Amino acid sequence: MGKSASKSLRFTKISLQSWRNFKKVDVALQHRVFLVGPNASGKSNFLDAFRFLRDIVSIGGGFQEAVRKRGGVSKLRCLAARRYSNIVIHVHIDDGSIPAWEYELEFNQNTQRQPYIIKERVVKEGKNILDRPNAEDKNDQKRLSQTYLEQVYTNQDFRDLVDLFTSVHYLHIVPQLIREPDRSIGKSNDPFGGDFLEQIARTPEKTQNSRLRRIISALQVAVPQLENLELKRDNRGTPHLRGKYKHWRPQGAWQMEEEFSDGTLRLMGLLWAILDGKGPLLLEEPELSLHPEVVRHIPQMFARVQRRSGRQVLFSTHSTDLLYDEGIGLDEVLLLRPGEQKGTGTSIHTASEIEQIEELLEGGSSLAEVVIPETRPKEAQQLTLWGK
Amino acid sequence: MKDGYTVSVSGAVEGDLDEAVLRRLVEEKGAILDRLYGKQGKQHIEKRLGGYNQAAHRFPWVVFRDLDHDADCAPSLKARCLPNPARYMCFRIAVRTIESWLLADRESIAGFLRVAVSRVPSFPETLDDPKYAMVELARHSRLRDIREGVVPRPGSGRKVGTLYTSQLIEFAQTKWEPETAAQRSDSLRRCRERIHEPVKSQIDKSSS
Repeated sequence: MGKSASKSLRFTKISLQSWRNFKKVDVALQHRVFLVGPNASGKSNFLDAFRFLRDIVSIGGGFQEAVRKRGGVSKLRCLAARRYSNIVIHVHIDDGSIPAWEYELEFNQNTQRQPYIIKERVVKEGKNILDRPNAEDKNDQKRLSQTYLEQVYTNQDFRDLVDLFTSVHYLHIVPQLIREPDRSIGKSNDPFGGDFLEQIARTPEKTQNSRLRRIISALQVAVPQLENLELKRDNRGTPHLRGKYKHWRPQGAWQMEEEFSDGTLRLMGLLWAILDGKGPLLLEEPELSLHPEVVRHIPQMFARVQRRSGRQVLFSTHSTDLLYDEGIGLDEVLLLRPGEQKGTGTSIHTASEIEQIEELLEGGSSLAEVVIPETRPKEAQQLTLWGK
Repeated sequence: MKDGYTVSVSGAVEGDLDEAVLRRLVEEKGAILDRLYGKQGKQHIEKRLGGYNQAAHRFPWVVFRDLDHDADCAPSLKARCLPNPARYMCFRIAVRTIESWLLADRESIAGFLRVAVSRVPSFPETLDDPKYAMVELARHSRLRDIREGVVPRPGSGRKVGTLYTSQLIEFAQTKWEPETAAQRSDSLRRCRERIHEPVKSQIDKSSS
């Protein structure tokens, strides 16, 4: 267990049924995924399926807790899916060559609103190694309140899978928290980035320096004047980040983190997060507080730090500026479209499925331009009508 | 140039790589690129060219556009897009895309992509698709980072790889020598000569 195999494992496919906005979706996932869609189309809900798997296997977590945290089965269930009320999450996991794992979980709630498992399945290299409900479950229905994933004595045959779920990391950095470290005292692995500077400070110096160097090289795509980045502790021991810029002064100019813009600070946090860890990373709206000119460089910056790590990163974004990059694969862009009619739920398509996309790109349009009409909120036109 | 006086130039380009090249060429003349417009493809520039030209009656402007396959030669495209360029307008066309200017510095690009110089095309302006030529060159790189970053992944549906733009921006910023490249690219040679004109006239204006 914990051998190198888990290092390069990633999600290659996810199928969701009756999960929040999604009545039924089936999506292939690349190393890098951009989730694009209007507000409330379900970008965060899509990412939440991966967080749910993580919550099942995390310490102090488990299936019951993961459902409870989300307000119960009736909150999770897709309103559009009246006939198929069972919730299904089914993921495929590969190391890039052979199909390594599949995990499928189907659940609902009983009359006392207690979540229970209808089906749990683990497939290893094409063979079923777990298929529930099994004979023991049939003798003791109570067993169906827990998954086999969450217990060390039932998951020993698929620890790599458990390790992958455990390594899923979610991040939605709030720059104000980085500026005011007092607000996050005592927190560790804060998904909102409160302990970001402290995390850097705790990293051994050699690793810290090499990561900061990679971050500089990535940031230079958008900020060519940036020469150096370093972490210093003040008299009270609080860590501060400062950056050195090429400047008219011969020594250059140092800038403390208070002088960095919210967006820059947040960007540094996100780049650090990519370098820190190996499991799939879920990043919400990396474009927040950034100038559109910087946003269009995000894919290049992230790809530069991500280089060689093989780490899977799933971004959710509102910004089509992000899609000007010519190097973004059409199969890396997932477009979320809320259902036209009641009862249809959100659908997901890759950009390569857009009709005429080849012709439009060939004719000189950028992927951003092609995708805009696909992601525009339907209400946007109605808003102008109301104004009249 | 007068002491302490730097000429500011406005510019418009099709994309990020063009920006890096424009910056090098403007800075080479001792000027700075003060304002940059466009970066949303050629149609975007074409629509706004009238306005840029209007502004170039008073201020120096440099606008780049790729010839692609939109005309047989640069002069005919220029005549069509901008028949009456303003006094300080420098409208330059790269034959056929900006990549040919980068390929024209054979030694440097071979060194950067880690390929044999003999693989780099000798006459970049005769290439049908210089961007494709650049990607093909990178396919032979001895460095894994270059091969995996510059060449598109099968199934991606794109012509370039994930790191194509930033790798070539880095090349344009740090290794590319415009003077050497101009010897193999006529459109670049003319561009370097003409960029000088609005800059020079602006200096003359300030010292008169």
